[in-house]
Amino acid sequence: MIRLSMLQLRVQAITAAVALIAFAALLAATGPHLVSLYAASGLRGCQPASCGQRASSFLQQVDSTSPYAAVYPLSIVLIALTPVITGLFWAAPLLARELETGTFALAWSQSVTRTRWLAVKLIVGGLAAMAVTEALSLLFAWWAAPLGRAAGLGGSGGLAMNPFNPLAFATHGITPLGYAAFAFTLGVTAGALIRRTVPAMAVTLAIFAALQIAMPLWIRPNLLPASHTTVAVSNETTLNLFRTDSPHTFAFTLATESLPGQPGAWIRSSGAADAAGHPVGTVVPSACTSAAISSGPGAGLANCLTSRGIRIAVTYQPASRYWPLQWTETGFYLVLSLALAGYCFRRLSRLS
Amino acid sequence: MNAAIQASGLGKQYRRAWALRDCTLAIPEGHVAGLVGPNGAGKTTLLRLAAGMLTPTRGTITILGQRPAAGPAQLARVGFVAQDTPVYSRMTVADHLRLGDWLNPGWDGHLARRRISQLALNPKQRAGSLSGGQRAQLALTLALAKRPGMLILDEPVASLDPLARREFLQVLMEAVAGQGLSVLLSSHLVADLERVCDYLVVLVASRIRIAGEVSDLLASHHRLSGPRRDPGTLAADQEILTESHTDKQSNLLVRTDEPILDPTWAVKPVSLEDLVLAYMSRVGDGPVSPQQLKVVP
Amino acid sequence: MVEFQLDETSGVATYLQLVQQVHQALRMGMLEPGDRLPTAQQVVAQLAINPNTVHKAYRELEREGLVRARPGLGTFVTRAPTGPDPATQARFLAAMTDWLRSARAAGLGPDDIEAIYRTAFRTCFAEGAA
Repeated sequence: MIRLSMLQLRVQAITAAVALIAFAALLAATGPHLVSLYAASGLRGCQPASCGQRASSFLQQVDSTSPYAAVYPLSIVLIALTPVITGLFWAAPLLARELETGTFALAWSQSVTRTRWLAVKLIVGGLAAMAVTEALSLLFAWWAAPLGRAAGLGGSGGLAMNPFNPLAFATHGITPLGYAAFAFTLGVTAGALIRRTVPAMAVTLAIFAALQIAMPLWIRPNLLPASHTTVAVSNETTLNLFRTDSPHTFAFTLATESLPGQPGAWIRSSGAADAAGHPVGTVVPSACTSAAISSGPGAGLANCLTSRGIRIAVTYQPASRYWPLQWTETGFYLVLSLALAGYCFRRLSRLS
Repeated sequence: MNAAIQASGLGKQYRRAWALRDCTLAIPEGHVAGLVGPNGAGKTTLLRLAAGMLTPTRGTITILGQRPAAGPAQLARVGFVAQDTPVYSRMTVADHLRLGDWLNPGWDGHLARRRISQLALNPKQRAGSLSGGQRAQLALTLALAKRPGMLILDEPVASLDPLARREFLQVLMEAVAGQGLSVLLSSHLVADLERVCDYLVVLVASRIRIAGEVSDLLASHHRLSGPRRDPGTLAADQEILTESHTDKQSNLLVRTDEPILDPTWAVKPVSLEDLVLAYMSRVGDGPVSPQQLKVVP
Repeated sequence: MVEFQLDETSGVATYLQLVQQVHQALRMGMLEPGDRLPTAQQVVAQLAINPNTVHKAYRELEREGLVRARPGLGTFVTRAPTGPDPATQARFLAAMTDWLRSARAAGLGPDDIEAIYRTAFRTCFAEGAA
């Protein structure tokens, strides 16, 4: 049965191998140069004070050198699309085409039970999809390592991405495994319920895309409890000032994109708050209005707000939460996949 | 002798309609049983229940003493060729043989290869580009090479030209003789059934109308013709299947196990086709009036 | 080896046709004692009929004492049917052929000849019914 699964996935396997080899070739062609650029930038063993500067210039240099600016987003797209492709072209036809063409009568009258037939096909196809996706992700992670190191050293701009950035989070680490498993089992289930290949592919695409959008927006932020803290208004925080309808009354917002002492943290939200962390109103207190009028959103207003006890409340995930979050999210998708697979097995006897 | 097929009160319901109802059968081993009936009568449903493709809503069915598709051992004992002989169109003939080899412990690769070369099939040809007759032969080869004890075929020759049909039946009969198979097959063509079947099941409107050995059925059904008679005056053990009367003459098709002693009747044997038509044209359990009777030569 | 034919329109049961063809082959000298009849498998592979029909025919022939089934080896002719020997058969076949030729030369068509034959046959066997 294993040999049969592999035989019937022949074409798909060859396509995947060609894509993997082409991708690896592309990365192998551009990777070493990236490493040499990194070495030339003097970031190895740099002094903490100058690291940020050097890192940023390295990143900008990479961004303006033509292949890298294209390879990076190309890789992201490829890794993000691979679960979709395997879900649509490997998984959706698995049951749908058998039911559509009537070949299930041939497959299920041999000397293997339907359950074993489906189990082997699910495992062989699903593991292959997961392996291909993760292989692409690992290749990319190897290639992009210098960029990640530069970002970690405080560089910004260009191709630097916080690991918690949705695009980065979804294409690095082990999350691609979960996506591939889910897309695969989703495709098989859609095929079982819809019984026609093309509609099953469409439904798989729709549901997978919906979940992939919902995850970074609503689900991931709630997978692990966030940490809370307050920071003082400073040069690194952002102060915005707005006029309102009434004269002599201004509105302000406070935000920050980094936390001192928490490099690489994922800032979920930040806003003006009191020392205890409770949000305060967005109206500039009357005592600070004159500072607002005279120097706008500058140091004067900042000092005035600080003197009134206004700080910034930050909701965040520390950088150390990266791997627990990866594991939790992957676990979430794997549980979903197992549930879908279980449903397929339960419905199997009623399919013909 | 084991029963090849044993069904008791078998029924299958889809949503609100019953595709098969109250089917009770006991077909002995070593027979080629033919299943005949109008379209939509439930033949495919019965065959798929026997092959384990469907599960019964009511009643039971066993094949060679076991529930269909009960496990790998039972699956190995039954070969099934579905209607329109589905094959994987993108896989080659050789791939299909590999499929049979890998999925069936009892696979006879020698037999399979010999049949393929006898049929002059190109092993490297994709199954989708085979003709209808070649596809049917491939499907039959796959079913036979796993060395089953029972073969179930759903209208295997319905869409084949006469030559392909004859060749299919030749191969099938040769395998029955050589392997001692039991067969259950459905067909529209009573002429084919007459050649190959020694057991007959007539299925009309989801119920079995009659079932039995062909020789017994032919011996117990007779055509009676004679002067005009009121059917009520017939002997009680004679069951009237069809009747037609002119003002002077009566023609009946009756079923009885007793000899016909009334000298006013001319008694003639019934062909299998007439017998099948008589049962197929009955509505309910009573005899058929002339308006309902199909024209029978 | 004798090869069987099947006449589906004759109304005669298939197994009886096989029996009759064996009788005929024996009479005509095409089958002789010691010859092996085709196996059921060979017969059905050619005629596409049920193997049980062949078995029934061979059992009938065995009951008539004309053949004997030897397990594992086949079914063999044991003796010729009692009846005229091949020489007598050949003599009448020649006489019949001559008669037919002269009838055709006299202008009789197949239907005329058949009608004459059937009338004579009925008369002959009705009067000498045994």
